[in-house]
Amino acid sequence: MTATPGLPFANPHDPRTSAHGIITVTELTSQIRTTLESSFAEVWVEGEITNSRLWKTGHLYFTLRDEHAQLKAVMFRSAVRYLRFTPEDGLRVVARGRVSVYEPKGEYQIVCEHLQPQGIGALQVAFEQVKRKLSDDGLFDPERKRPLPLLPRQIGVVTSLDGAALRDILQVLTRRHQTAHVVIYPTRVQGEGAAAKIAEGIERLSQAEGIDVIIVGRGGGSLEDLWAFNEEPVARAVAAATVPVISAVGHETDTTLSDFVADVRAATPSAAAELAIAGRTDLVDRVDQLTGRLRAAVLDALRRSRTRVLELDRRPGVTSWPARLASHGRHTAELTHAISSALREALASRLSHVHAVRIRLDTREPSRRVEANRTRLVAADERLSATSTHRQQKLRAQVSHLTGRLGALSPLGVLARGYAVCWNDKQTRILRDSATVSVGDNVAIRLARGRLSARVTGKK
Amino acid sequence: MKRGVKDFESAIKELEAIVKALEEGDLALEQSLELFERGIQLSRFCHTRLEDAERRIELLTSQGERAAAPDNLTATSENGNDT
Repeated sequence: MTATPGLPFANPHDPRTSAHGIITVTELTSQIRTTLESSFAEVWVEGEITNSRLWKTGHLYFTLRDEHAQLKAVMFRSAVRYLRFTPEDGLRVVARGRVSVYEPKGEYQIVCEHLQPQGIGALQVAFEQVKRKLSDDGLFDPERKRPLPLLPRQIGVVTSLDGAALRDILQVLTRRHQTAHVVIYPTRVQGEGAAAKIAEGIERLSQAEGIDVIIVGRGGGSLEDLWAFNEEPVARAVAAATVPVISAVGHETDTTLSDFVADVRAATPSAAAELAIAGRTDLVDRVDQLTGRLRAAVLDALRRSRTRVLELDRRPGVTSWPARLASHGRHTAELTHAISSALREALASRLSHVHAVRIRLDTREPSRRVEANRTRLVAADERLSATSTHRQQKLRAQVSHLTGRLGALSPLGVLARGYAVCWNDKQTRILRDSATVSVGDNVAIRLARGRLSARVTGKK
Repeated sequence: MKRGVKDFESAIKELEAIVKALEEGDLALEQSLELFERGIQLSRFCHTRLEDAERRIELLTSQGERAAAPDNLTATSENGNDT
Protein backbone atom coordinates (compact mmCIF):
# COMPACT_ATOMS: atom_id res chain seq x y z
CA MET A 1 0.00 0.00 0.00
CA THR A 2 2.97 2.29 -0.16
CA ALA A 3 3.12 4.76 -2.93
CA THR A 4 5.58 3.90 -5.57
CA PRO A 5 8.65 6.02 -5.04
CA GLY A 6 9.06 8.52 -7.83
CA LEU A 7 5.45 8.28 -8.70
CA PRO A 8 3.70 9.66 -5.67
CA PHE A 9 0.96 11.37 -7.70
CA ALA A 10 0.53 9.04 -10.52
CA ASN A 11 -2.11 9.12 -13.18
CA PRO A 12 -5.45 9.07 -11.40
CA HIS A 13 -6.86 6.94 -14.19
CA ASP A 14 -4.42 4.24 -13.38
CA PRO A 15 -6.44 1.82 -11.31
CA ARG A 16 -3.48 1.26 -9.04
CA THR A 17 -2.75 4.86 -8.18
CA SER A 18 -6.44 5.60 -8.15
CA ALA A 19 -6.80 3.17 -5.37
CA HIS A 20 -3.99 4.81 -3.59
CA GLY A 21 -5.02 8.36 -4.77
CA ILE A 22 -3.29 10.09 -1.94
CA ILE A 23 -2.02 13.60 -2.25
CA THR A 24 -1.16 16.10 0.42
CA VAL A 25 -3.51 18.84 1.58
CA THR A 26 -1.05 21.34 0.27
CA GLU A 27 -1.03 19.69 -3.10
CA LEU A 28 -4.78 19.62 -3.37
CA THR A 29 -5.22 23.14 -2.13
CA SER A 30 -2.64 24.32 -4.57
CA GLN A 31 -4.46 22.61 -7.42
CA ILE A 32 -7.78 24.04 -6.32
CA ARG A 33 -6.19 27.41 -6.14
CA THR A 34 -4.79 27.17 -9.62
CA THR A 35 -8.10 26.01 -10.97
CA LEU A 36 -10.13 28.68 -9.24
CA GLU A 37 -7.78 31.52 -9.93
CA SER A 38 -7.56 30.76 -13.61
CA SER A 39 -11.30 30.21 -13.97
CA PHE A 40 -12.32 33.27 -12.02
CA ALA A 41 -9.62 35.77 -12.82
CA GLU A 42 -12.14 38.52 -13.25
CA VAL A 43 -15.73 38.28 -12.05
CA TRP A 44 -18.53 40.69 -11.33
CA VAL A 45 -20.59 39.49 -8.46
CA GLU A 46 -23.62 41.01 -6.89
CA GLY A 47 -24.59 40.70 -3.25
CA GLU A 48 -25.18 42.32 0.07
CA ILE A 49 -22.34 43.30 2.37
CA THR A 50 -22.29 41.72 5.82
CA ASN A 51 -19.73 41.39 8.58
CA SER A 52 -17.71 44.22 7.13
CA ARG A 53 -14.67 45.19 9.07
CA LEU A 54 -11.95 47.67 8.24
CA TRP A 55 -8.66 46.55 9.69
CA LYS A 56 -6.03 48.82 11.10
CA THR A 57 -3.86 47.88 8.16
CA GLY A 58 -6.42 49.54 5.91
CA HIS A 59 -7.63 46.28 4.38
CA LEU A 60 -11.34 45.66 4.34
CA TYR A 61 -12.84 42.25 5.10
CA PHE A 62 -16.47 41.40 4.57
CA THR A 63 -18.88 38.78 3.32
CA LEU A 64 -21.03 39.04 0.25
CA ARG A 65 -24.26 37.12 0.41
CA ASP A 66 -27.58 36.54 -1.17
CA GLU A 67 -30.52 34.35 -0.18
CA HIS A 68 -28.73 31.07 -0.69
CA ALA A 69 -25.02 31.54 -0.40
CA GLN A 70 -22.24 33.62 0.91
CA LEU A 71 -18.81 34.52 -0.25
CA LYS A 72 -15.88 35.78 1.76
CA ALA A 73 -14.41 38.94 0.38
CA VAL A 74 -11.40 41.12 0.96
CA MET A 75 -10.44 44.48 -0.43
CA PHE A 76 -6.88 45.63 0.05
CA ARG A 77 -5.96 49.08 1.20
CA SER A 78 -4.66 50.07 -2.23
CA ALA A 79 -8.19 49.58 -3.62
CA VAL A 80 -10.10 50.84 -0.55
CA ARG A 81 -8.37 54.19 -1.01
CA TYR A 82 -10.29 54.86 -4.19
CA LEU A 83 -13.72 54.18 -2.77
CA ARG A 84 -15.85 57.29 -2.47
CA PHE A 85 -18.16 55.67 0.06
CA THR A 86 -17.72 53.43 3.06
CA PRO A 87 -18.85 49.84 2.45
CA GLU A 88 -21.31 49.13 5.21
CA ASP A 89 -23.36 46.13 6.21
CA GLY A 90 -26.65 45.92 4.37
CA LEU A 91 -25.39 47.76 1.31
CA ARG A 92 -26.05 45.97 -1.96
CA VAL A 93 -23.06 46.17 -4.24
CA VAL A 94 -21.55 44.79 -7.39
CA ALA A 95 -17.99 43.71 -6.68
CA ARG A 96 -15.37 43.33 -9.35
CA GLY A 97 -12.46 41.09 -8.47
CA ARG A 98 -10.80 37.72 -8.76
CA VAL A 99 -11.33 34.60 -6.77
CA SER A 100 -8.40 33.51 -4.69
CA VAL A 101 -7.66 30.80 -2.17
CA TYR A 102 -6.10 31.46 1.18
CA GLU A 103 -4.18 28.27 1.57
CA PRO A 104 -3.36 28.36 5.29
CA LYS A 105 -7.04 28.28 6.07
CA GLY A 106 -8.32 26.46 3.07
CA GLU A 107 -10.70 29.25 2.33
CA TYR A 108 -11.57 30.80 -0.93
CA GLN A 109 -12.53 34.39 -1.22
CA ILE A 110 -13.00 37.14 -3.69
CA VAL A 111 -10.33 39.82 -3.78
CA CYS A 112 -12.20 42.93 -4.75
CA GLU A 113 -10.74 45.62 -6.94
CA HIS A 114 -13.80 47.79 -6.95
CA LEU A 115 -17.23 48.08 -5.37
CA GLN A 116 -20.17 49.82 -6.91
CA PRO A 117 -23.31 50.42 -4.84
CA GLN A 118 -26.31 49.03 -6.58
CA GLY A 119 -29.21 51.15 -7.67
CA ILE A 120 -27.72 54.47 -6.56
CA GLY A 121 -24.40 56.02 -7.35
CA ALA A 122 -21.37 55.81 -5.12
CA LEU A 123 -21.49 59.59 -4.62
CA GLN A 124 -25.05 59.44 -3.33
CA VAL A 125 -24.06 56.75 -0.88
CA ALA A 126 -21.04 58.73 0.25
CA PHE A 127 -23.16 61.86 0.58
CA GLU A 128 -25.66 60.12 2.82
CA GLN A 129 -22.94 58.50 4.86
CA VAL A 130 -21.02 61.70 5.58
CA LYS A 131 -24.27 63.54 6.14
CA ARG A 132 -25.34 61.04 8.77
CA LYS A 133 -21.99 61.28 10.46
CA LEU A 134 -22.05 65.07 10.62
CA SER A 135 -25.64 65.01 11.75
CA ASP A 136 -24.78 62.56 14.53
CA ASP A 137 -22.10 64.98 15.65
CA GLY A 138 -24.69 67.72 15.84
CA LEU A 139 -23.18 69.88 13.12
CA PHE A 140 -26.55 70.60 11.54
CA ASP A 141 -28.18 71.77 14.75
CA PRO A 142 -30.04 75.04 14.21
CA GLU A 143 -28.70 76.46 17.48
CA ARG A 144 -25.19 76.27 16.09
CA LYS A 145 -26.03 78.83 13.43
CA ARG A 146 -24.53 82.22 14.13
CA PRO A 147 -25.96 85.51 12.90
CA LEU A 148 -23.94 87.38 10.30
CA PRO A 149 -22.12 90.50 11.51
CA LEU A 150 -23.90 93.79 10.90
CA LEU A 151 -20.84 95.60 9.61
CA PRO A 152 -18.10 93.14 8.71
CA ARG A 153 -14.71 94.81 8.67
CA GLN A 154 -13.27 92.35 6.17
CA ILE A 155 -14.94 89.65 4.10
CA GLY A 156 -12.99 86.42 3.55
CA VAL A 157 -13.57 84.42 0.38
CA VAL A 158 -12.44 80.84 -0.24
CA THR A 159 -12.72 80.00 -3.90
CA SER A 160 -10.85 79.68 -7.16
CA LEU A 161 -9.14 82.81 -8.46
CA ASP A 162 -10.38 82.28 -11.99
CA GLY A 163 -13.87 81.00 -11.26
CA ALA A 164 -17.16 82.67 -12.00
CA ALA A 165 -17.94 82.69 -8.28
CA LEU A 166 -15.22 85.20 -7.41
CA ARG A 167 -16.15 87.41 -10.33
CA ASP A 168 -19.79 87.44 -9.23
CA ILE A 169 -18.93 88.17 -5.61
CA LEU A 170 -16.65 91.07 -6.48
CA GLN A 171 -19.22 92.50 -8.85
CA VAL A 172 -21.93 92.53 -6.21
CA LEU A 173 -19.59 94.15 -3.72
CA THR A 174 -18.62 96.80 -6.26
CA ARG A 175 -22.23 97.58 -6.91
CA ARG A 176 -23.48 97.56 -3.36
CA HIS A 177 -20.53 98.40 -1.17
CA GLN A 178 -17.75 100.37 -2.81
CA THR A 179 -15.48 100.31 0.20
CA ALA A 180 -15.62 96.62 0.99
CA HIS A 181 -12.40 95.00 2.10
CA VAL A 182 -12.10 91.50 0.64
CA VAL A 183 -9.50 88.89 1.51
CA ILE A 184 -9.35 85.93 -0.86
CA TYR A 185 -7.86 82.55 -0.11
CA PRO A 186 -7.24 81.12 -3.58
CA THR A 187 -7.84 77.41 -3.88
CA ARG A 188 -8.79 74.87 -6.45
CA VAL A 189 -12.41 73.89 -6.00
CA GLN A 190 -12.49 70.47 -7.66
CA GLY A 191 -10.30 67.47 -8.22
CA GLU A 192 -7.67 65.78 -6.13
CA GLY A 193 -6.71 67.75 -3.03
CA ALA A 194 -9.37 70.40 -3.46
CA ALA A 195 -11.22 69.51 -0.25
CA ALA A 196 -8.10 69.73 1.89
CA LYS A 197 -7.17 73.07 0.36
CA ILE A 198 -10.65 74.51 0.86
CA ALA A 199 -10.66 73.36 4.47
CA GLU A 200 -7.27 74.98 4.96
CA GLY A 201 -8.53 78.25 3.48
CA ILE A 202 -11.50 78.39 5.82
CA GLU A 203 -9.23 77.79 8.78
CA ARG A 204 -6.66 80.40 7.71
CA LEU A 205 -9.24 83.10 7.00
CA SER A 206 -11.06 82.44 10.22
CA GLN A 207 -7.82 83.01 12.10
CA ALA A 208 -6.78 86.09 10.12
CA GLU A 209 -7.07 89.44 11.86
CA GLY A 210 -10.10 91.56 11.04
CA ILE A 211 -12.11 89.05 9.03
CA ASP A 212 -15.66 88.87 10.37
CA VAL A 213 -17.38 86.63 7.83
CA ILE A 214 -16.27 84.03 5.30
CA ILE A 215 -17.83 83.10 1.98
CA VAL A 216 -16.92 79.65 0.71
CA GLY A 217 -18.10 78.35 -2.61
CA ARG A 218 -17.81 77.98 -6.33
CA GLY A 219 -19.90 78.33 -9.46
CA GLY A 220 -22.13 75.66 -10.91
CA GLY A 221 -20.98 72.27 -12.16
CA SER A 222 -21.76 68.59 -12.15
CA LEU A 223 -22.23 66.64 -8.95
CA GLU A 224 -18.69 65.42 -9.45
CA ASP A 225 -17.40 68.99 -9.86
CA LEU A 226 -19.06 70.13 -6.65
CA TRP A 227 -17.92 67.07 -4.78
CA ALA A 228 -15.23 68.71 -2.68
CA PHE A 229 -17.94 70.62 -0.82
CA ASN A 230 -19.49 67.32 0.25
CA GLU A 231 -16.30 66.01 1.73
CA GLU A 232 -15.97 65.70 5.43
CA PRO A 233 -12.87 67.90 5.89
CA VAL A 234 -14.62 70.87 4.29
CA ALA A 235 -17.77 70.41 6.34
CA ARG A 236 -15.72 70.08 9.53
CA ALA A 237 -13.67 73.18 8.70
CA VAL A 238 -16.87 75.17 8.13
CA ALA A 239 -18.17 74.00 11.48
CA ALA A 240 -14.91 74.83 13.24
CA ALA A 241 -14.56 78.34 11.78
CA THR A 242 -14.46 81.02 14.47
CA VAL A 243 -16.47 83.48 12.37
CA PRO A 244 -19.79 82.92 10.58
CA VAL A 245 -19.52 81.13 7.24
CA ILE A 246 -21.74 81.60 4.21
CA SER A 247 -21.73 78.59 1.90
CA ALA A 248 -22.53 79.22 -1.76
CA VAL A 249 -21.95 76.23 -3.97
CA GLY A 250 -23.21 76.03 -7.53
CA HIS A 251 -26.71 77.09 -8.38
CA GLU A 252 -29.90 77.36 -6.41
CA THR A 253 -30.73 73.67 -6.82
CA ASP A 254 -27.36 72.35 -5.71
CA THR A 255 -27.10 71.48 -2.07
CA THR A 256 -23.87 70.33 -0.51
CA LEU A 257 -22.92 69.27 2.99
CA SER A 258 -20.96 72.49 3.34
CA ASP A 259 -24.32 74.28 2.91
CA PHE A 260 -25.84 72.24 5.72
CA VAL A 261 -23.06 73.01 8.15
CA ALA A 262 -22.61 76.68 7.25
CA ASP A 263 -24.21 79.39 9.36
CA VAL A 264 -26.00 80.65 6.26
CA ARG A 265 -26.58 78.95 2.95
CA ALA A 266 -26.67 81.21 -0.09
CA ALA A 267 -28.27 80.07 -3.33
CA THR A 268 -25.40 81.45 -5.41
CA PRO A 269 -22.08 83.22 -4.84
CA SER A 270 -23.72 86.54 -5.79
CA ALA A 271 -26.38 85.96 -3.17
CA ALA A 272 -23.65 85.19 -0.64
CA ALA A 273 -22.04 88.57 -1.30
CA GLU A 274 -25.42 90.28 -0.88
CA LEU A 275 -25.93 88.49 2.42
CA ALA A 276 -22.48 89.42 3.68
CA ILE A 277 -23.25 93.12 3.31
CA ALA A 278 -27.00 93.00 3.92
CA GLY A 279 -26.60 94.46 7.40
CA ARG A 280 -24.73 97.42 6.08
CA THR A 281 -27.19 97.93 3.22
CA ASP A 282 -30.03 97.99 5.75
CA LEU A 283 -28.19 100.51 7.90
CA VAL A 284 -27.56 102.83 4.95
CA ASP A 285 -31.28 102.68 4.11
CA ARG A 286 -32.20 103.29 7.73
CA VAL A 287 -29.96 106.34 8.05
CA ASP A 288 -31.26 107.73 4.75
CA GLN A 289 -34.81 107.21 5.83
CA LEU A 290 -34.26 108.82 9.24
CA THR A 291 -32.55 111.80 7.63
CA GLY A 292 -35.50 112.29 5.30
CA ARG A 293 -37.94 112.15 8.19
CA LEU A 294 -35.78 114.56 10.15
CA ARG A 295 -35.98 117.15 7.36
CA ALA A 296 -39.70 116.68 6.91
CA ALA A 297 -40.31 117.08 10.62
CA VAL A 298 -38.38 120.31 10.93
CA LEU A 299 -40.14 121.78 7.90
CA ASP A 300 -43.38 120.87 9.59
CA ALA A 301 -42.27 122.66 12.73
CA LEU A 302 -41.56 125.80 10.69
CA ARG A 303 -45.00 125.58 9.13
CA ARG A 304 -46.62 125.41 12.54
CA SER A 305 -44.66 128.38 13.79
CA ARG A 306 -45.96 130.44 10.86
CA THR A 307 -49.49 129.68 11.93
CA ARG A 308 -48.66 130.92 15.40
CA VAL A 309 -47.30 134.23 14.07
CA LEU A 310 -50.50 134.77 12.10
CA GLU A 311 -52.53 134.13 15.21
CA LEU A 312 -50.44 136.61 17.18
CA ASP A 313 -51.21 139.29 14.61
CA ARG A 314 -54.93 138.90 15.20
CA ARG A 315 -54.80 139.12 18.95
CA PRO A 316 -56.59 142.08 20.54
CA GLY A 317 -53.42 143.07 22.37
CA VAL A 318 -51.83 143.84 19.05
CA THR A 319 -54.79 145.21 17.11
CA SER A 320 -55.85 147.56 19.90
CA TRP A 321 -52.41 148.98 20.44
CA PRO A 322 -52.85 152.12 18.37
CA ALA A 323 -56.14 152.94 20.11
CA ARG A 324 -54.58 152.49 23.50
CA LEU A 325 -51.76 154.79 22.61
CA ALA A 326 -54.18 157.43 21.30
CA SER A 327 -56.01 157.50 24.61
CA HIS A 328 -52.93 158.98 26.19
CA GLY A 329 -53.69 162.30 24.57
CA ARG A 330 -53.17 164.26 21.44
CA HIS A 331 -49.60 165.11 22.27
CA THR A 332 -48.78 161.52 21.83
CA ALA A 333 -50.58 161.29 18.49
CA GLU A 334 -47.52 161.62 16.40
CA LEU A 335 -45.67 159.10 18.46
CA THR A 336 -48.65 156.80 18.28
CA HIS A 337 -48.70 157.03 14.58
CA ALA A 338 -45.01 156.35 14.30
CA ILE A 339 -45.14 153.40 16.61
CA SER A 340 -48.20 151.86 15.09
CA SER A 341 -46.85 152.07 11.57
CA ALA A 342 -43.56 150.64 12.74
CA LEU A 343 -45.42 147.81 14.39
CA ARG A 344 -47.51 147.14 11.33
CA GLU A 345 -44.46 147.25 9.18
CA ALA A 346 -42.67 144.86 11.48
CA LEU A 347 -45.56 142.48 11.53
CA ALA A 348 -46.01 142.73 7.78
CA SER A 349 -42.34 142.01 7.38
CA ARG A 350 -42.54 138.99 9.61
CA LEU A 351 -45.59 137.76 7.83
CA SER A 352 -44.00 138.17 4.44
CA HIS A 353 -41.00 136.32 5.69
CA VAL A 354 -43.17 133.55 7.00
CA HIS A 355 -45.02 133.61 3.72
CA ALA A 356 -41.72 133.12 1.92
CA VAL A 357 -40.91 130.19 4.15
CA ARG A 358 -44.30 128.71 3.45
CA ILE A 359 -43.84 129.00 -0.32
CA ARG A 360 -40.48 127.36 0.00
CA LEU A 361 -41.93 124.58 2.08
CA ASP A 362 -44.92 124.06 -0.16
CA THR A 363 -42.95 123.96 -3.36
CA ARG A 364 -39.95 122.38 -1.70
CA GLU A 365 -37.96 124.94 -3.55
CA PRO A 366 -34.81 125.72 -1.65
CA SER A 367 -34.54 129.39 -1.64
CA ARG A 368 -32.01 132.07 -2.09
CA ARG A 369 -34.66 134.28 -0.61
CA VAL A 370 -33.61 133.17 2.81
CA GLU A 371 -30.81 135.73 2.60
CA ALA A 372 -33.07 138.43 1.22
CA ASN A 373 -35.67 137.81 3.88
CA ARG A 374 -33.02 137.79 6.46
CA THR A 375 -31.91 141.27 5.35
CA ARG A 376 -35.49 142.44 5.52
CA LEU A 377 -35.90 140.96 8.94
CA VAL A 378 -32.77 142.66 10.16
CA ALA A 379 -34.09 145.96 8.84
CA ALA A 380 -37.39 145.40 10.54
CA ASP A 381 -35.54 144.46 13.61
CA GLU A 382 -33.66 147.77 13.58
CA ARG A 383 -36.83 149.73 13.06
CA LEU A 384 -38.33 147.94 15.97
CA SER A 385 -35.42 148.75 18.24
CA ALA A 386 -35.73 152.43 17.28
CA THR A 387 -39.19 152.51 18.85
CA SER A 388 -38.41 150.36 21.74
CA THR A 389 -41.15 149.39 24.12
CA HIS A 390 -41.45 146.38 26.29
CA ARG A 391 -43.73 144.62 23.85
CA GLN A 392 -41.55 145.57 20.93
CA GLN A 393 -38.52 144.19 22.65
CA LYS A 394 -40.28 140.94 23.04
CA LEU A 395 -41.24 140.91 19.39
CA ARG A 396 -37.74 141.85 18.42
CA ALA A 397 -36.29 139.03 20.43
CA GLN A 398 -38.62 136.61 18.73
CA VAL A 399 -37.86 137.94 15.29
CA SER A 400 -34.11 137.83 15.70
CA HIS A 401 -34.44 134.39 17.15
CA LEU A 402 -36.39 133.23 14.13
CA THR A 403 -33.87 134.89 11.85
CA GLY A 404 -30.96 133.15 13.46
CA ARG A 405 -32.67 129.80 13.35
CA LEU A 406 -33.57 130.11 9.70
CA GLY A 407 -29.99 130.84 8.88
CA ALA A 408 -29.12 127.59 10.57
CA LEU A 409 -31.11 125.69 7.99
CA SER A 410 -27.85 125.16 6.25
CA PRO A 411 -28.85 122.14 4.14
CA LEU A 412 -31.09 124.46 2.16
CA GLY A 413 -28.60 127.32 2.04
CA VAL A 414 -26.10 124.94 0.53
CA LEU A 415 -28.09 124.90 -2.70
CA ALA A 416 -27.63 128.64 -3.03
CA ARG A 417 -23.92 128.03 -3.22
CA GLY A 418 -24.30 126.11 -6.44
CA TYR A 419 -24.86 122.59 -5.19
CA ALA A 420 -27.73 120.54 -6.52
CA VAL A 421 -29.71 117.66 -5.07
CA CYS A 422 -30.39 114.73 -7.30
CA TRP A 423 -33.44 112.54 -6.60
CA ASN A 424 -34.63 109.35 -8.15
CA ASP A 425 -37.52 109.72 -10.55
CA LYS A 426 -40.24 109.37 -7.95
CA GLN A 427 -38.39 111.71 -5.61
CA THR A 428 -38.53 109.18 -2.86
CA ARG A 429 -34.83 108.95 -2.40
CA ILE A 430 -31.81 111.27 -2.73
CA LEU A 431 -29.14 109.73 -4.97
CA ARG A 432 -25.73 109.35 -3.43
CA ASP A 433 -24.35 106.51 -5.41
CA SER A 434 -24.32 106.21 -9.17
CA ALA A 435 -24.78 102.49 -8.71
CA THR A 436 -28.34 103.00 -7.54
CA VAL A 437 -29.48 104.29 -10.95
CA SER A 438 -29.24 102.73 -14.37
CA VAL A 439 -28.49 104.32 -17.67
CA GLY A 440 -31.80 105.51 -19.10
CA ASP A 441 -33.39 106.20 -15.71
CA ASN A 442 -35.09 109.53 -15.19
CA VAL A 443 -33.84 111.62 -12.30
CA ALA A 444 -35.01 114.85 -10.75
CA ILE A 445 -32.47 117.54 -9.98
CA ARG A 446 -33.24 120.32 -7.59
CA LEU A 447 -31.30 123.54 -7.96
CA ALA A 448 -31.29 126.61 -5.75
CA ARG A 449 -34.02 127.93 -8.03
CA GLY A 450 -36.21 125.60 -9.95
CA ARG A 451 -35.84 121.97 -10.78
CA LEU A 452 -34.80 119.84 -13.70
CA SER A 453 -35.99 116.51 -15.02
CA ALA A 454 -33.04 114.64 -16.49
CA ARG A 455 -32.16 111.27 -17.90
CA VAL A 456 -29.03 109.32 -17.09
CA THR A 457 -27.01 108.86 -20.25
CA GLY A 458 -23.94 107.40 -18.67
CA LYS A 459 -22.26 106.85 -15.38
CA LYS A 460 -18.91 106.28 -13.78
CA MET B 1 -23.34 122.68 20.73
CA LYS B 2 -21.26 120.09 18.89
CA ARG B 3 -21.71 117.24 21.26
CA GLY B 4 -19.64 114.17 20.59
CA VAL B 5 -20.95 110.95 19.10
CA LYS B 6 -19.97 107.78 20.88
CA ASP B 7 -20.48 104.99 18.36
CA PHE B 8 -22.60 104.01 15.44
CA GLU B 9 -25.20 102.20 17.46
CA SER B 10 -25.80 105.06 19.88
CA ALA B 11 -25.74 107.57 17.01
CA ILE B 12 -28.49 105.82 15.11
CA LYS B 13 -30.51 105.37 18.31
CA GLU B 14 -30.22 109.06 19.16
CA LEU B 15 -31.15 109.98 15.59
CA GLU B 16 -34.22 107.80 15.86
CA ALA B 17 -35.23 109.46 19.14
CA ILE B 18 -34.76 112.92 17.62
CA VAL B 19 -36.88 112.11 14.58
CA LYS B 20 -39.57 110.73 16.83
CA ALA B 21 -39.54 113.80 19.08
CA LEU B 22 -39.73 116.12 16.05
CA GLU B 23 -42.52 114.12 14.47
CA GLU B 24 -44.58 114.29 17.60
CA GLY B 25 -44.43 118.04 17.06
CA ASP B 26 -44.93 119.35 20.58
CA LEU B 27 -41.65 121.21 20.69
CA ALA B 28 -40.90 124.90 20.54
CA LEU B 29 -39.45 126.02 17.23
CA GLU B 30 -36.14 126.78 18.87
CA GLN B 31 -35.90 123.32 20.30
CA SER B 32 -36.94 121.75 17.00
CA LEU B 33 -34.18 123.51 15.16
CA GLU B 34 -31.62 122.54 17.78
CA LEU B 35 -32.68 118.92 17.46
CA PHE B 36 -32.56 119.20 13.70
CA GLU B 37 -28.99 120.37 13.79
CA ARG B 38 -28.02 117.58 16.11
CA GLY B 39 -29.87 115.13 13.87
CA ILE B 40 -27.98 116.27 10.80
CA GLN B 41 -24.73 115.89 12.70
CA LEU B 42 -25.65 112.32 13.67
CA SER B 43 -26.74 111.47 10.14
CA ARG B 44 -23.39 112.66 8.80
CA PHE B 45 -21.57 110.65 11.43
CA CYS B 46 -23.47 107.50 10.43
CA HIS B 47 -22.75 108.00 6.75
CA THR B 48 -19.11 108.60 7.43
CA ARG B 49 -18.89 105.45 9.48
CA LEU B 50 -20.61 103.38 6.82
CA GLU B 51 -18.17 104.55 4.17
CA ASP B 52 -15.24 104.41 6.55
CA ALA B 53 -13.09 101.79 4.95
CA GLU B 54 -11.03 101.99 1.86
CA ARG B 55 -11.77 99.51 -0.92
CA ARG B 56 -9.25 96.71 -0.85
CA ILE B 57 -8.89 93.27 -2.39
CA GLU B 58 -6.17 91.08 -0.98
CA LEU B 59 -5.00 87.50 -1.20
CA LEU B 60 -4.14 85.39 1.80
CA THR B 61 -1.33 82.93 1.17
CA SER B 62 -1.17 79.50 2.73
CA GLN B 63 1.57 80.91 4.96
CA GLY B 64 -1.01 83.34 6.28
CA GLU B 65 0.54 86.38 4.63
CA ARG B 66 -1.40 89.01 2.78
CA ALA B 67 -0.65 90.16 -0.72
CA ALA B 68 -2.34 92.53 -3.12
CA ALA B 69 -4.76 90.82 -5.51
CA PRO B 70 -3.71 90.56 -9.14
CA ASP B 71 -4.76 93.48 -11.32
CA ASN B 72 -7.26 91.46 -13.30
CA LEU B 73 -9.38 90.98 -10.17
CA THR B 74 -9.44 94.63 -9.23
CA ALA B 75 -9.97 95.53 -12.88
CA THR B 76 -12.88 93.12 -13.19
CA SER B 77 -14.61 94.65 -10.25
CA GLU B 78 -14.17 98.17 -11.54
CA ASN B 79 -15.62 97.20 -14.87
CA GLY B 80 -18.52 95.75 -12.98
CA ASN B 81 -19.86 99.28 -12.74
CA ASP B 82 -20.89 99.25 -16.36
CA THR B 83 -23.19 96.33 -16.11
